[in-house]
Amino acid sequence: MTTDVKPTRKNLMAIEDRIELSERGHDTLEKKRDGLIMEFMDILDQSKDVRSDMQDDYEAAQETIDVARAMEGDVAVRGAAAALEEHPEITINSKNIMGVVVPQIESTKVKKRLDERGYGVLGTSARIDEAADAYEELLEQIILAAEVETAMKKMLDEIETTKRRVNALEFKLLPDLHESQEYIEQKLEEQEREEIFRMKKIKDKKESEEKAAREEASTTETQEGPEGEVAVTSD
Amino acid sequence: MSATAGSGESNYEYVTARVRSRRAKLFDEDDYRKLVRMGPGEIARFMEESEYEAELNALGARHSGVDLIEYALHRNMAKHFEDLLRWADGRLYDYVARYLRTFDAWNVKTVLRGLYSGADREAIEADLIRAGEFDDRQVDRLLEADSIETVVDQLSGTMFADGLETAFETYEAEDSLVPLENAVDRAYYEGLLADLPRERDRATELYVEFLEAEIDFRNVRNALRLARSGADVDPAEYFIEGGRLFSAGELRGLAGSPGELVARLRESPYGEDLAAALDDLDAAGGLVDFERALEAALLEYADHLSNVYPLSVCPVFAYVLAKEREVENVRAIARGSEAGLPTEAIEEELVLL
Repeated sequence: MTTDVKPTRKNLMAIEDRIELSERGHDTLEKKRDGLIMEFMDILDQSKDVRSDMQDDYEAAQETIDVARAMEGDVAVRGAAAALEEHPEITINSKNIMGVVVPQIESTKVKKRLDERGYGVLGTSARIDEAADAYEELLEQIILAAEVETAMKKMLDEIETTKRRVNALEFKLLPDLHESQEYIEQKLEEQEREEIFRMKKIKDKKESEEKAAREEASTTETQEGPEGEVAVTSD
Repeated sequence: MSATAGSGESNYEYVTARVRSRRAKLFDEDDYRKLVRMGPGEIARFMEESEYEAELNALGARHSGVDLIEYALHRNMAKHFEDLLRWADGRLYDYVARYLRTFDAWNVKTVLRGLYSGADREAIEADLIRAGEFDDRQVDRLLEADSIETVVDQLSGTMFADGLETAFETYEAEDSLVPLENAVDRAYYEGLLADLPRERDRATELYVEFLEAEIDFRNVRNALRLARSGADVDPAEYFIEGGRLFSAGELRGLAGSPGELVARLRESPYGEDLAAALDDLDAAGGLVDFERALEAALLEYADHLSNVYPLSVCPVFAYVLAKEREVENVRAIARGSEAGLPTEAIEEELVLL
């Protein structure tokens, strides 16, 4: 890096600007990373709760369907399930958490009333209702878990990217820029010193030339002086 | 099912004697105690040494595990009920056949659901229980139907025709099976008490008394389910005519306040039989336990009637209920054991008398 830079004052100013910008960016990214981590921790807690609820709901749903299959028969349960007319629908929107776009899943027609489930009321029993209730509950929980866990995954990716950027700025870009800055400054100082030295040399040379010229002039004057006197005397 | 309507006098003596002998072969408490401690394989083995042997052997090549047990139970039950229709004559045949049409209703609903969900013929056929009044040819014709409309057409001339034709219009408008299923169930329940002779003999009175209890229990169950589910429907829409306890209007009023419904049940002739179940319902509010108690109460009521009137239709119904209960109990044990439910939980689900 350092060798690629021309040690000019213009480049030094450009590098100083870049350093300032990078340091500002580094601070901002650090703050973003810390913020994301805090948000992530919140989502992580929420996700743990949702997972645990989902596990409970799954166990409860499994138990109710086992009982329904045991008491009503597999055939009746499958028949009731096959009668479902309106399937649940899912719409995915997005929301922004500290610049991270995470999905917001909205579900409709998951929870159904008894008359919306498609099977006849007269020929079925409460066991099938309970199994349907429990699975509707489970499905809602699964959708919530999908939303929270996708958000968590996206946050994690963003934290990783931000961390890489912060590290790149902290350990690569800024040290390189500082090195370049130092290099240019040193070079510029060196050039300055050389310039002063050169100027001094020129000045010395000029002075010695002037001195020589002066000496030459005085020598010429001394030689011309006695001949004149002779001329005056002969008149 | 290949029975034809019997003619002439009812042969209560003959049928009740045969039924008593069949009833003696049902699994008793000891058998259930052994069964609840077995896995599905052991249950199938146990059943092979009972009267289910033929069905298990016949179905063994096509099914396995708990499915094999369930299908064998259904086939065996169908065989027994077919025998009942074969033995019965006269009005007794008519009463038994009316009651067993619950399996015709089941088969019609299964075919409708199968077609609605796009299931293949084999899957639908495996779920049928050929224990009703429809003969094999009628059932096969239903299976060959390629649309719900064809099924409705094929059922013209049966007890389900009128209700289904009306419900089919709603089905076409709403694309929902509910009206069709409800029409089938309603036709079955209404058929139970339709066209009874005006001059009722004792046998008919008993038949009516038993069915009134069943219809009352069904109405109570449905009213409570609708009340609990919060569905915005009129409970009177699901009311089955013929019970003793409520009219459609009364049930509409009572469904809104389950407390009053329970109080009304306590004061009814079934109050004593249902006291424990009603206490449970008040305490825990679990409908499943309540339904189980209703089933036990109905079984007990049928047994009580069959002991008081041994030469009547009551012992036959008591046997039909007991056989259905055996099928449900064994299935519960097998499915429960397959799902890994604890023995206590399975025992809780059994209805034993």
